[in-house]
Amino acid sequence: MALRLISRRFGSRILSYRSSSVASLHSHATSFGFQEVKEEDKSKLVGNVFTNVASSYDIMNDVMSGGLHRLWKERLVGKLSPFAGMKHLDVAGGTGDVAFRIFDAVNSVKHRALRKVDEESLEETQIYVCDINPNMLNVGKQRAAERGLRDNKSLVWVEGDAEALSFDDHSMDGYTIAFGIRNVTHIEKALSEAYRVLKRGGRFLCLELSHVDIPVFKDVYDLYSFKVIPNLGELIAGDRDSYQYLVESVRRFPPQEKFATMIADAGFEKVEYENLVGGVVAIHSAIKL
Amino acid sequence: MVRISRVMLKNAGHAIDKTLSEILVCPLSKQPLRVCEMPKALVSDTIGVSFPIKDGIPCLVPKDGKILEEVGDASKAS
Repeated sequence: MALRLISRRFGSRILSYRSSSVASLHSHATSFGFQEVKEEDKSKLVGNVFTNVASSYDIMNDVMSGGLHRLWKERLVGKLSPFAGMKHLDVAGGTGDVAFRIFDAVNSVKHRALRKVDEESLEETQIYVCDINPNMLNVGKQRAAERGLRDNKSLVWVEGDAEALSFDDHSMDGYTIAFGIRNVTHIEKALSEAYRVLKRGGRFLCLELSHVDIPVFKDVYDLYSFKVIPNLGELIAGDRDSYQYLVESVRRFPPQEKFATMIADAGFEKVEYENLVGGVVAIHSAIKL
Repeated sequence: MVRISRVMLKNAGHAIDKTLSEILVCPLSKQPLRVCEMPKALVSDTIGVSFPIKDGIPCLVPKDGKILEEVGDASKAS
């Protein structure tokens, strides 16, 4: 009985993968916002965007989201339930927002008191920040230095590709990717790499701008995205085009349900998602069992 | 206290390198990497590619890897 259930699940999974996924995955790989580009060019184009915005990335996040991105990241880290001694990988985490929050969560006095953490576990905590763009990493390292964490062994900055991670199989307790996966050319590769590096029982968490379905709010959000944000980009970062790309890339990214299916296709279990602000942002979570 | 932190700072570079080579693998072959001191790089012996370390940040993006020309180069690099 159980065997039949499992084989039926596998059967339907294979069917659905063949039919719908291939077309939309290909379209993500060749889309740069609303433009069509060659697959091999997408990575470079995205790279240019982030090289340009790196220095004003954090302030633009604050302005564009009205400071809300901070709450979203808090929620993400909360869901992760970080613990001392964990090995965590934050992908596309360039400027360190999520990594610092995890570090603080693990090292906070309250946390330590509650969980009776010993010094040794604290030292074993390793948070790897991986980003494909060196400029973003440099901003992150600078911020670490400003917090007095420059030589802290718990934070490790690595330049790498989400589609070809340089970490060993079954090595991470947690994997997060915040506002990064929509910039990856081949989402399914990033997801299967995430699956590869996680240990059994490891948590996968993805925070990403997503799709709004609520009637009037959707129009307000579209107006804000396409009329206000590129102008803000011009005003504050001096770069309208990069922010135009950013809002377009959000629309091109698969909707919540579709993305959840993709995560399940990579092998993850207990795939769930939570919409924040009516779907402006969604946190997808899953476990590798 | 000051002396300890000074020693830690000096060893930080080495410690980080060691940690790196322990947990990092080649992004292409997924095999272990070897730390090379001069020039600072992580070498994947399996496929003969070296990845630079810039400002303490290992650059393990596949396209940034430099192919080590021949056996001679590999031994010169270490």
